[in-house]
Amino acid sequence: MFLSVGVRFEANVEALNMVETAGNYSKHRRVPYLVEEDGKLKTVYVPALSGESLAHAYQEHLVREALSLNLPVCDDCRRNEFYKSMNKVHLKKKVNPIPDDPKKIEVAIVQSCVIEDVGGFLYAEKPPVRRSSAFQVSYALPVKSVALFATSEPQLHARHAQMDSSSKKGNASEQMIYYVETGTALYGFTFNLDLNAIGVSAITSEPILNENEIKARREAALKALFRMLSSAQFGAKLSRFFPVGGITEVAVAVTEHPFVVTSPIYDDYIARTERRLKVLEGLGEKYLFTVATGEKVPEEALKEAMDYLKEQGAF
Amino acid sequence: MSEYEGIVKMLRFFVQTKNFSYVDRIGNALNPEPVEVTLHEALRAFRSIRESAFVEDNGRRYVEKDGKKIPVPGIPPEEEVKAFLDAVRSDIGVAKRVATLALAYPSKKESGGDE
Repeated sequence: MFLSVGVRFEANVEALNMVETAGNYSKHRRVPYLVEEDGKLKTVYVPALSGESLAHAYQEHLVREALSLNLPVCDDCRRNEFYKSMNKVHLKKKVNPIPDDPKKIEVAIVQSCVIEDVGGFLYAEKPPVRRSSAFQVSYALPVKSVALFATSEPQLHARHAQMDSSSKKGNASEQMIYYVETGTALYGFTFNLDLNAIGVSAITSEPILNENEIKARREAALKALFRMLSSAQFGAKLSRFFPVGGITEVAVAVTEHPFVVTSPIYDDYIARTERRLKVLEGLGEKYLFTVATGEKVPEEALKEAMDYLKEQGAF
Repeated sequence: MSEYEGIVKMLRFFVQTKNFSYVDRIGNALNPEPVEVTLHEALRAFRSIRESAFVEDNGRRYVEKDGKKIPVPGIPPEEEVKAFLDAVRSDIGVAKRVATLALAYPSKKESGGDE
């Protein structure tokens, strides 16, 4: 089973994805974006959130959900440090001595950590072992039709230090000003989850775990997505820049084989996704498509998808 | 390309501090907009770095990275920046050439400060 979710969310004055700092100025991530204006294409720079940032948040939620279902999570991932068995030092914590066979290495990692099972890993030693992530997440980008209204704006803040004359060095000021660049936009992003990849070897395509364990891990993976969207706990600087706004629309497609909802950056993404699914239905694909716009809240659409997956025996 | 020496030196400074972001974005730009945005960001960052750099007795500025002293060149003059942006508007290849020069060794030893 394959789950694909298109999410639109409004975020005003957010600092969800900061990149480098230049002196006292911390910059928001920005990307070039093609927009059409008066029949002509032009490039504009818009605030964005990286897929890496969203993926990190998802995996943090996955840690919590996995632990609450008594599923294994390795020590590194428990601390939300997703090294992903990248070298001998980290792999030895799971299996020691380290086997020579890539298949055995994969089995050892998948058995001992849900996060590396669902989120993939790259063991970059000899022999190298790579496992693709079962979930995919796009950048969050402003919705096309209103991208020109997206802004990034530096906000001035001040930090104070109490200094007596003995601790004061040179011309250091008791007050330091700094700027945080905040973004404001209606964002859209896509999240996909390949439930068939969980607990299954990326090398042999054979199940590594028993059916019950696989189902429990799928449940954790779905709950983590639910929690991430429901709580809006993704991105950085939430302590003082929690975005003002919230999820405005969600479109969820559950299919037997990989299918990705049309990107929510397009205004007609729901209608287009529906049309594409109808074509697939004609080819014999069973699916569920549910959207939360207007009256329905996002949690209701996500719950509907989870209920459908449960009915289908996915978990 | 000597007319854009100030920009080349600034980009080379970022390369020396292992920040390849600006030189890559300018060198790989397919149209003028990314060059303009990147140059704006690079100048903004460069000013901040320059203002907080160490100043030697002779007035030269430098920053320390991995135990090495990296001289901080002067801020590119306004006319040069304007000429560069105009040139990029008419030929994007200028941006690639400037970025390529910034990645090459300088023809003579550069020193920091208000040159």
